[in-house]
Amino acid sequence: MGHAMPEWIYIGAVIALLVWVGAEAWDAERLLEKAPVEAKTIKVIGQQWFWTFEHEDGTKEVGEVHVKKGIPYKFDLISQDVNHAFNVPDFTMTLDVIPGRLNTIWSTFDVPGIYLIQCREYCGYSHYNMKANLIVEDTTPQEVAALLADNSPQTASVASETAQTTSSEPAIQADALLTILLGSSVQGSPDYDPDVLTVTKGNTIEVKNADTVPHTVTSGTGPQDANSAKQFDTGIINGGESAVLKTDSLTAGDYAYYCMVHPYMTGTLKVQ
Amino acid sequence: MVLEVKQPRPIWEILFSTHHTDIGLLYVFFSITALMIGGALALSIRAELFFPGQQIIPDPQTFHRFFTVHGTTMLFLWAIPFGSGIGNYLIPIMVRYKDMAWPKLNAVAFWMIPVGAAMIWLGFSDTAWTAYPPYSTMKAPGPAAELWIFGLKILGVSSVLGAINFIVTMLRCKHPDLPIMKMSLFAWSILIISFMILVAIPTFAAALIMTYTDRLGITGFFNPAMGGDPVAYQHLFWFTFHPEVYIFLLPGVGMLYEMIPKFSRKPIFSYQSGVTAFILLGTIGFMSWAHHMLSTGMSFTEKTVFMVGTLAAVPASAMHVFNWIATMWGGRIKFATPMLFAIGSILLFFAAGSGGVVNTALPLDYVTHDSYWVVGHFHLILMGTVSLAFTGYIYYIFPLITGRMYNERLGRIHFGMAISGVLIVFMTQHILGLYGMPRRYFDYVPIPEWIIMNQIASTGAFIAGTGYLLFVINLIISSMKGKFANMKDPFHIGEIYYDYTRREPHH
Repeated sequence: MGHAMPEWIYIGAVIALLVWVGAEAWDAERLLEKAPVEAKTIKVIGQQWFWTFEHEDGTKEVGEVHVKKGIPYKFDLISQDVNHAFNVPDFTMTLDVIPGRLNTIWSTFDVPGIYLIQCREYCGYSHYNMKANLIVEDTTPQEVAALLADNSPQTASVASETAQTTSSEPAIQADALLTILLGSSVQGSPDYDPDVLTVTKGNTIEVKNADTVPHTVTSGTGPQDANSAKQFDTGIINGGESAVLKTDSLTAGDYAYYCMVHPYMTGTLKVQ
Repeated sequence: MVLEVKQPRPIWEILFSTHHTDIGLLYVFFSITALMIGGALALSIRAELFFPGQQIIPDPQTFHRFFTVHGTTMLFLWAIPFGSGIGNYLIPIMVRYKDMAWPKLNAVAFWMIPVGAAMIWLGFSDTAWTAYPPYSTMKAPGPAAELWIFGLKILGVSSVLGAINFIVTMLRCKHPDLPIMKMSLFAWSILIISFMILVAIPTFAAALIMTYTDRLGITGFFNPAMGGDPVAYQHLFWFTFHPEVYIFLLPGVGMLYEMIPKFSRKPIFSYQSGVTAFILLGTIGFMSWAHHMLSTGMSFTEKTVFMVGTLAAVPASAMHVFNWIATMWGGRIKFATPMLFAIGSILLFFAAGSGGVVNTALPLDYVTHDSYWVVGHFHLILMGTVSLAFTGYIYYIFPLITGRMYNERLGRIHFGMAISGVLIVFMTQHILGLYGMPRRYFDYVPIPEWIIMNQIASTGAFIAGTGYLLFVINLIISSMKGKFANMKDPFHIGEIYYDYTRREPHH
């Protein structure tokens, strides 16, 4: 290369530019990667062709989700059938919702209003119509501080965090223990222990996830069951954490349950 | 000179021929036909999106079938066969051998393509050209999806056979007096993509079989309820199809290296740098596949690795652009139609490449991912860079093949319409993506910005489509009635055109 000098200078400039772009991108992504610990969790279920949202206190919303300004929210994304992508263009949130996986994305919404939630991954007939509304409610700084301070174990998933932090203390007065065994996520392996758990109405069950991946205990025979999660649902229990199931509202009888993340994990709950 | 069209022969002699120029021309005819069919599908899609609501396509599923077949046709029946066609025509001439190494295998490789094409067109699948499971394995209606799977399987085998033939022709049958570092850069581009095909295609071939057995329900490779993982398919798919992007691109790059020095009346600025950049692209192209999957919930480490791998491919592309500009620098440039297309191709390569850097920069990916930005981005590469380079090259070798000149004025009008149409439709789609419109939407929310930008984009598409209609008319009429070309120097550059002489008879 007799005349290589200009080319080397040019290539050097291009590489310097790319290194700068890559470093900046890496630095920004590093901050976005982990949700803050005080973030409130919302479970998002994508299925052909609508979105369901479940708040920490158990309230469910279909086709819309109410959030408060200034509070960090973590969205646990679960698919019931095919690939979807949870997308809020106004807040630059895009993440695929993939069956068999739990993806999480978080954001703090800073402007009150109604925003479009849409599906960005081709999912069949009504892909273009798989929409929901994100409703950001206005709050005052005092309300935000109060909400973030409020950490009382009123729900299953909040209790699970408490249970983890205070695992040595008898925080949960459980009458029965249901263990999700290590390796449950591999199909065919032993999953819920015991497979048939018998309790008396009113008992409290501690669900302990001894596996390394997230699981749920959700009433119903599987994702196709129309009554799925109507009777009880622990929500996502991360690996190593615990949750509490109350049986006060259940009538005596047999209840089939399964794991929303791994629908082949099934078990039965007998209430006497 | 090779003047097939000048000496009419019975059609079966051409169809059953194993001569490389005949097969090369069959490839080219077939791929231009596919371009027109794919283009018609694209124009229907744009017409549907001109207004919000249902317009000319009766229901969403038909719309999904349209964009699936449009994508599959343009990629596998236009871009790939056209590169192979020109390769078939010119490589034996460039390496001074009488034919391809295995002429019969060559004919078999070509004739597999219409079979695969028929399966894709008859099936009219709705899986999208990526065919992600679980949709493709559990929900997509058969037998369309099965036909699509086997159609692509056949096209993959055809590519591999063609690649083997090219590699052996260039490395074993090259004239001993021609060192490999004197071989034309177009031949280099075909050599590199042939190796890439051999490494890349088998992965997707495996994924196709897995998809098929998953559809039959006997396996669950991609079914989480049976212990599989849908993301595994995406890895297998993109391990083939990110390198495939370079397989589409490099023949176009090689054609630009043929045209630019000729019309600039200067030698290539740096031949070695061109070869180096080809080899770099051919290897680094395999390090970046998962940047198509940055939003599948990969770990931070994986995302960083694939961002770096993607950025690493940029300097090699930039070397090509530098080489072309340095070649043109200070040259007495003849702005004939092929050169206009070549310059347009370079401009759009630069634009599309810059957009690619935005796509891979991690936080920005979540703005652009699966939005119309991405549609605009890869169409700028494929319809802009690759197709403009291919089109320019068709004009450039038109005299060599037919012995006649195309209509220069019509060619210039075509160029004007093609480049303005491409810029209008795909630049607008970039902005549309930034406004949040996802791709593969049959209908959209009637937000005023979305409506107006969809209308601008559709208008651009119709301008480009009309330009390409003029192109085909120009080719047909000029090959029958065009002026006889001065075969020494048809473009009046003052240099010898292709000085290849052929003595071997057709066999």
